[in-house]
Order: sequence, then structure tokens, then C-alpha cells
Amino acid sequence: MIKLDKIWKVYDTGKIKVEALRGIDLEIKAGEFVSIVGASGSGKSTMMNILGCLDRPTNGKYKLNGNYIEGLDEDELARIRNKNVGFIFQTFNLVPRVTAFHNVELPLIYSRVKASERERRVTIALERVGLSDRMTHKPNELSGGQKQRVAIARALVNNPSIILADEPTGNLDSETTIEIMEIFKKLNASGATVIIVTHEMEIAAITNRQITFKDGKIISDKLNNCRNYEV
Amino acid sequence: MNFIESIKIALKALWINKMRSLLTMLGIIIGISSVITVVALGNGTKGAVNSEFDNYGASSIYIFNRYSEEIYQEDLITNRDYEVLGRIFEKQIEAKSAIINYSGVTNKINDVKKDINLDVNGVGNEYDKVINFELISGRFLSKQDIVSRKNVAVIEKELAIEKFGKEDVLGEKLSIKRNDEVKTFIIVGIYEPPKSLLPAMGERAKVVYIPTTTAGRVLNLSDQIYFMQFSLKKDVDAENVIMQMINVLERKHKNIDQNKFQGESAEGQLEIINKVMKILTSVVGAIAAISLIVGGIGIMNIMLVSVTERTREIGIRKAIGATRKDILIQFLIEAIVISGIGGVIGTAIGIILSKIVSHFIKIPATTGILVIIIATLFSTMVGIAAGMYPANKAAKLDPIDALRYE
Repeated sequence: MIKLDKIWKVYDTGKIKVEALRGIDLEIKAGEFVSIVGASGSGKSTMMNILGCLDRPTNGKYKLNGNYIEGLDEDELARIRNKNVGFIFQTFNLVPRVTAFHNVELPLIYSRVKASERERRVTIALERVGLSDRMTHKPNELSGGQKQRVAIARALVNNPSIILADEPTGNLDSETTIEIMEIFKKLNASGATVIIVTHEMEIAAITNRQITFKDGKIISDKLNNCRNYEV
Repeated sequence: MNFIESIKIALKALWINKMRSLLTMLGIIIGISSVITVVALGNGTKGAVNSEFDNYGASSIYIFNRYSEEIYQEDLITNRDYEVLGRIFEKQIEAKSAIINYSGVTNKINDVKKDINLDVNGVGNEYDKVINFELISGRFLSKQDIVSRKNVAVIEKELAIEKFGKEDVLGEKLSIKRNDEVKTFIIVGIYEPPKSLLPAMGERAKVVYIPTTTAGRVLNLSDQIYFMQFSLKKDVDAENVIMQMINVLERKHKNIDQNKFQGESAEGQLEIINKVMKILTSVVGAIAAISLIVGGIGIMNIMLVSVTERTREIGIRKAIGATRKDILIQFLIEAIVISGIGGVIGTAIGIILSKIVSHFIKIPATTGILVIIIATLFSTMVGIAAGMYPANKAAKLDPIDALRYE
């Protein structure tokens, strides 16, 4: 499903060239529950941007769901993000001042889903994250955990191939962290491919596969078999 | 994202910043409402002036001595001139009248000390065909009245009511005082002047028509008349007839090229008035249009602020799949909705304002549907023009940078 072939990302700021990714080869299959770990500056955020089609690699091939994405223009990338990727951010990144419902509805609006169908799918998505009673609340009326659940509902509402979470629990307390990770586990158990970028080893340990980045390269890629399906 | 969806989203975004949206609209509201008001009053006045001229016969021409020149006894227009011109231009003339006018007073029948100002017009028996005339009772002056200098008068209804307190005053006596000399006339006809759409300045003198010959005797004129009025047949070139008539007069009076005579056509006057009105309307309209441009700049400014403020939101929207076009349309529609709503409010205020102003300065206001359509289209275009740059700026934002924006 995801296949990276010698991916390079170089930021050229004129004088200095920063090599954020240096020849990444990686394969992630449908239904996997993966964590990407590494210190800051290790290239994991760049990796996430490329996996999520927010950014294009400088070099190398990236195949998502059978499509090579290097040759696509910005709008085609937008469509891929819309259909195939669900983003979850550390800072939640909800659209302020509009309701939870409308936030979850947005990806469907951009993929031109009809209003009645949107309502059905948004309701289901919010039910899946346990927020059916907060639909009409605005982000500033929700707690951190609730905001992140809205974000998760928004990420999964369009049935994407991959759910990409960038430090999803970074702004949450430990109790809420467990709740959110439970949701990710459930989503994965129901078939979703989930990739979590984190620097917390406890979070990484919850996933099935742990990929460690350092200086733009993968230094380890291991399975966490022993920790499967329990917290 | 479809169109209605975009408008809904735009309305939502504007509703969040109600006060700001309203203030931004203000420029457009003021611009559009002043355009509507000015154009409505301009058109109304133009319409009123035009119908006023219709009442007095748009194809009428007047010939008289040029006031600005030194006029000698031998230059004065006479009844003879009038008759000669009438004969020469018989084919072009529909109806004609010589006119001698003076002002006089009469008193109220039941209040002798109360004077009523009169505008006494000595006219010919065809005068009722020269102007738009509506007789309500009795008859107009006859040829016989003119020939035998009868002391008869046709008066306007308002005078009958004011003097006698009733409308039916046929056969009653009307005494007209001029320079302490009193003449008495028998009322033979009552007419109703056409309703004027333009306001009267102060107390209007009431109009009385008497035979030209009688008026000439009152003023001790030998053969002189004050001016002649001709109504021309259809498709006759008024300016041309005026020129020829003046030529005839100049030859007759032996004062060629001395500019002793002047002619005016109602059409020519109407044209001048319309031209002046047009210039006035376009000047004020241009000022109003400038306020619209300022309003547009206001919209552009606030949209730029909005794009900067919502950089992160734009990043989020892009991350979850909004294309450049989606973002462009979102912000463009927001700008159009601001200017469009401003345009609608401005139109409404403009219509109300023109009615209020029209009420106070007594000038009719006409708001045409065309003006409303143009105003709405124009405000929408202002929105598009003002929104294009900020919306394009938003659409071009890089999603990663936008998401990182604090």
C-alpha cells in the first residue's frame, strides 16, 4: 500500500543544504499499526509530510495505493490527501469557531459528497469517537481530548487508506492519552492503517511496528509483537 | 465544493465577525445608496421637466424681442408681424397665438382686503390649441372676442375657488386692478392647468386669459405684442422655422443682423435642461462611484487581514483536501458576499433615502429597475475585484507553512 523507494528530501535555502531525509526505503501494508519515532530533527516530521502528500520528495519514488505521487501537481495532491489520507495533529488543528459537526464535514464537502450523505457519515464518525453528544459544540467549548477526538473523526470520515497522526497525544494529559490511543487501536482493529509519529516511547510501544529515525535515515524497524492488543 | 455550499461557508465566516463585516460593508452601502439616491432624484427631475414641457407643447416656439439689445419703437413686434408670419408659415404651423401679458390683482369676494395676484395673459383664440389645455366648463376665447375686444376672461379653477369659494362661476364678474385702474371681465370659461410635478416657488399667481386685443388696450399698446407662440406640425424642424421667421422679421423691420429678435423652442430648452441634468447626475454619480471604489479597497484590506488571520485555517483546509480553487472560491465568495449584501442594503437605503429627500425638497424620485440591477452588478464586481488578490494569496499558500503559522 505504501512503498517508499530511496526517498530524499533536501531543503535548499541558498547557502545551506539540509538533507532531511536520506534515501528512505519503506513499505507499509494495509491494516498496519505503525509508529515513527525519533528525536526532533531526525526527519520524522518530513517523513510524515511526504507520507501525507503535503510535500513531495526531492528524489525517489513514493507509491500510495498504486499511485506514484511525484508527478502530481498541487491540486492532484490535494485530492489524494482528501480521499486517501486522514491527518491528526498535535495541536488538533480544528477550524475555529465552527461546530464539531462542520469540522468533521469538511473533507466530505471538499470531495463533493451530497449533504444528506454527509450528515449520515459525520454522525457515524463522531459516534465512533464517542462524541455524538458534542456535535454542535465549537472547538473552544471542547476539552483537549474532545478536540482530538473531533480531529480523529474528521480524519476517518472519508474512509482514507491511511490515518497519519503527528504527536497526537503531545498536548494531552496521561489519562486522555490512553483514551485517544484506545481509539487508534480500535480503528486499527477495524481495518484502518494507522501511522503515528511520536517521540514518546510509551506511545510507540502501543503500536505493532516501530520505525526509528535518526539523521534522516531509518536506524531500526521492529515489530512489537509481545505488546499486541493490550494496554 | 458547490456554489451554495461556498456561500453558506462565506456567510458563516462573515457571521463570526459580524461587526467587522458590517463596517467593511459600510463603504459599499454608502456608495450604492448615494448612487441610487442621486440617480433616482436626477431621473425623477428629468422626467418631471420633460412632462412639464409636454404640457406646454414640446413643439412650441416663441418669438420675441431680444431683451439684451437696445430696442427702438420700429423694432417692436406687432400684430402685423404676427399675422404675416402666420400666413407665410401656414404650412408649418398647427396653431398660433400672439401674447401680451401683465400682472394684476383681484380681491376675494367675501374679504375685500385680501388680494389675489393674477398673471393676466392676453392671448388669441387658438391659444388653447397651442398649449395643453383642459377646459372644465364654459368655452375658450372666440375669434369674435378678439375682434371686438370683449372684456371676457377664462380663469383657472383654483382662482374660482379662491375668489368665489366655488367652482361654477360662469357669467360672474372678475375685476382686475392694474396700477389703480380697474377693469371688469365676464368669466366665460374655467380650465384646469395640467398638474405640475415640479414644486412651485412661493405663492403662485393665478392665471387669467383675456383677448390679446383687450390686453393691448389695457396696456395702451397701439399694435405691439409681447411675444408670439406657435405650435408646429409634426416633424417640422423648430430651429429652422425660428431662423426663417427671424429673417422675415428682420427684413420687414429693416434691421438685418442687428439681433433685435430672438426665438426659442421648447425642445431646445428641454435639451439644455436635460444636458445640464445629465452633467449634474454624472458628476454626483462619479463622486458616488469613487466612494464605491474606496469601499472596494476597504473590502480588499479586510480580506487581506482575514487571509493572514486564517492562514492556519487555510493550512488545515488544504491538508484535508481543499484545492487551490476551493480556497480561492471560498475567499472570493466571502468578498462578493460582503459587497453583495452591502449592495442590497445600499439599494434599500438608497430607495428609502431618495423618497425621503424627494419628500423634503419636493423633487420626484424614480428608481428604475435598471439602476438597481446595475448597482447590484457593480457592487458584485467591486467584490470580485477587491477579493481577487487576497483570495489568490490564500490559494497559493503552502499547506505546510500555513499549518506551522502561529
